[in-house]
Amino acid sequence: MSRPSAKKVAAKGEYIETDSGNKVSRRSAITGTANITLGGRTVIMADVVLRGDLHSTRPTASNSGKEGTPTSISIGKCTVVSTSSVLKPPCRMSRGAPNFYPMKIGDNVFIGPNCVISAIAISSHVHIGANVTIHAFAVIKENVKILSNTVVPSAMVVAPGSVVGGRPARIVGEVGEGWGVSGGGAGGGLGVGGGGEEKWVEGGDLRELVRSIR
Amino acid sequence: MAQPFPYTYYACDCYDGNNTSSTKRASQLLQEAEEEERTFDPRSPRANYSLYPLEHLLYCEDCQQVRCPRCIIEETLNWYCPSCLFEVPSSVVKSDGNRCTRSCFSCPLCTSNLQTYSLDQTGESAPPFILECQYCRWSSLEIGIEFEKGQGIAAQLARLGNGGKHIPTNKERDKERERRREVEMRKSRDLLSPSTESTNTDTERDDRPPSHDDLFSNLTAFYKSQVDTQTPSNPFSSHDINFSSPSAYSRIMNLYSTTGSKKNKRSKPSAMREAASSLEGLTIHDPISDAAAIERIKREGWGVTLSPAQKHAQINPNVRFTDEIRPLATLLCTKRSKRCRSCRQILTKPESKITSTRYKIKLLALNHIPRLSIRALNASPPTPVASRTAETFDYNALKPGIPAHFLLHLSNPLFDSIKVTLATPSTTPGKVHSRVTILCPQFDVGANTDIWDDALSSSLSPIKRGSVSEGPAQIEAGKIWDRGRNWTSVAVEIVPGFTNSQGSGSEEQELEEDEDVLEIPIFVRIEYETDAGADDRGLGDSRGSKGEKERREEAFWTVVGVGRIKGA
Repeated sequence: MSRPSAKKVAAKGEYIETDSGNKVSRRSAITGTANITLGGRTVIMADVVLRGDLHSTRPTASNSGKEGTPTSISIGKCTVVSTSSVLKPPCRMSRGAPNFYPMKIGDNVFIGPNCVISAIAISSHVHIGANVTIHAFAVIKENVKILSNTVVPSAMVVAPGSVVGGRPARIVGEVGEGWGVSGGGAGGGLGVGGGGEEKWVEGGDLRELVRSIR
Repeated sequence: MAQPFPYTYYACDCYDGNNTSSTKRASQLLQEAEEEERTFDPRSPRANYSLYPLEHLLYCEDCQQVRCPRCIIEETLNWYCPSCLFEVPSSVVKSDGNRCTRSCFSCPLCTSNLQTYSLDQTGESAPPFILECQYCRWSSLEIGIEFEKGQGIAAQLARLGNGGKHIPTNKERDKERERRREVEMRKSRDLLSPSTESTNTDTERDDRPPSHDDLFSNLTAFYKSQVDTQTPSNPFSSHDINFSSPSAYSRIMNLYSTTGSKKNKRSKPSAMREAASSLEGLTIHDPISDAAAIERIKREGWGVTLSPAQKHAQINPNVRFTDEIRPLATLLCTKRSKRCRSCRQILTKPESKITSTRYKIKLLALNHIPRLSIRALNASPPTPVASRTAETFDYNALKPGIPAHFLLHLSNPLFDSIKVTLATPSTTPGKVHSRVTILCPQFDVGANTDIWDDALSSSLSPIKRGSVSEGPAQIEAGKIWDRGRNWTSVAVEIVPGFTNSQGSGSEEQELEEDEDVLEIPIFVRIEYETDAGADDRGLGDSRGSKGEKERREEAFWTVVGVGRIKGA
């Protein structure tokens, strides 16, 4: 992450904004920043824990050119991580030693408050409700809605376009064809969200939401 | 799916069209006229089946009507396993059923997915392998199953019974059946000419009651033989019917079901015999096993039994105890295209590739009817999402009897400006009567033009929230609250009713579940002029077919869930 500009620091806002438009709360707890990549216009809210220090300890010099900085968490564009959520790369015991695997999160993903996420991969346009726990090595595909208070068991694969909920998570439905489509363009004003007061729709383009956070 | 407040549901009127029969009586006509007059009741039992969130609705451009999941036809494009995301050819689905045939299994206890683990202590993946649930820690060891290979679990499991017993294949079953039949023939002969050497080695095998699969294969073999004896003249049916395939079953079922209608054409087949012994697939009720089951529950308690949901998920319906369960192969999913039920036009068609989430055709209601949303009108300006933890308005605790103002927001996806007329019953239906007043029921919503038009004209726009600067007390009847490029919002005054009957009447009546949810039915009627003949998608203005304008009108009911009224 690049350093915030001097003007922004002087303003002492809630968020530090990087050159690429990432907004990181001053109250977030981020460890191992060198191992974390944010795609741009991504919001990390207050009290979010990003465990970037938990990176792969295996020598990975052979397959990647850049040595020394293994990626542990990579987050795409316009993704929002809400307050008090914890992102911890998944871990597996291998030959008696714990080995961490890099976690990948796509674009326009909304992660609700108080979530604990250890998924290996979350694709784009995923909406995760509040208080969701995703166990290690789960794979969340595109256009998935995870209802609040869900526990996704480890290594579960959530197929594209499904709605999951429950403990353990099971598929409870399908998102409609209009998932993520904000009708007629986000019209501005009070909000065209899913009947709510948001300017954005679940699973849709979160740029408006990111812009509104300051 | 329960949605958080506030929400908007759209009513599809397709169920009304179903009961228009050709022979109408006067009373029915009267009733229908009444239905026209009647306002939509979100609490009627039928409303559940016609209300959908806007995202789930499609739009048929030929019929110019909204299409809900009940008035479309689905066509399966392909089958895939939701766990391994491999496509399963439809031929395999027909022959092997709708379950994954690879290594995808779900836990028979908690429905979580099972993972293959090696029991090898050295850390290498070497046999034996087991299936384990990472959620509830159930493993296949509990039913005594270990695998020799880590791949192709389904094929291995098909041969392995609980406790590591061997499950015979179909061929082995056939052989066994033949052998037993001979034994039985011999026995019956022995009965006729009694001799003492009837007890032989087969008796201990016969002690074990035939398993569910055994009985099934016995029954299929029996019916096959019966069909063969029935239709000896037809050279095809006796040979090519493969009784393990569902299609053949459906053919047989057709044979049975159509006998009634085709009775005149073909001679009535002589009645088939039913299965008469367990060799022919007959299950005889065994009171001893019941007694044993009761004894076992007495001894070990309810813990060893299955819950109804767990039992229901099992393939064998007679499973009772936790040591009889089997891991469940993952059910397959489908990708489906959807057609309009009345004109058969394709409404959505996803790309056939499993991993692709794109659509070739997608006609959404979102792009054709205005989106309606409601939110509380607060003294504070619209809050950014960052402060959502400090909720400014609690939709779950509306105060009864105190007027509250809400903003109804309409955004227009069409490329023509629309005239909107809103209507709502003055008191909400249901036991809790809330008073609702839309302060400006008639207004215009601008066209969904290029977003830059809005940006350029915004400085010149004369209507810029005149009322907000002077405070929220300035809500005027007959005036819109605010408007933008393709949206308009109007104020709504709502007086939530009393949940307990002390306010309205004295009669004691218990509120049922969700009776205290404030849902307002709103009738939306839009009128607009569009280029006739042009595509409804608004491509008309680019084609430049000027001149003839077409008036269009659309009307539908929506239900706006405002919140939950707090009990006094």
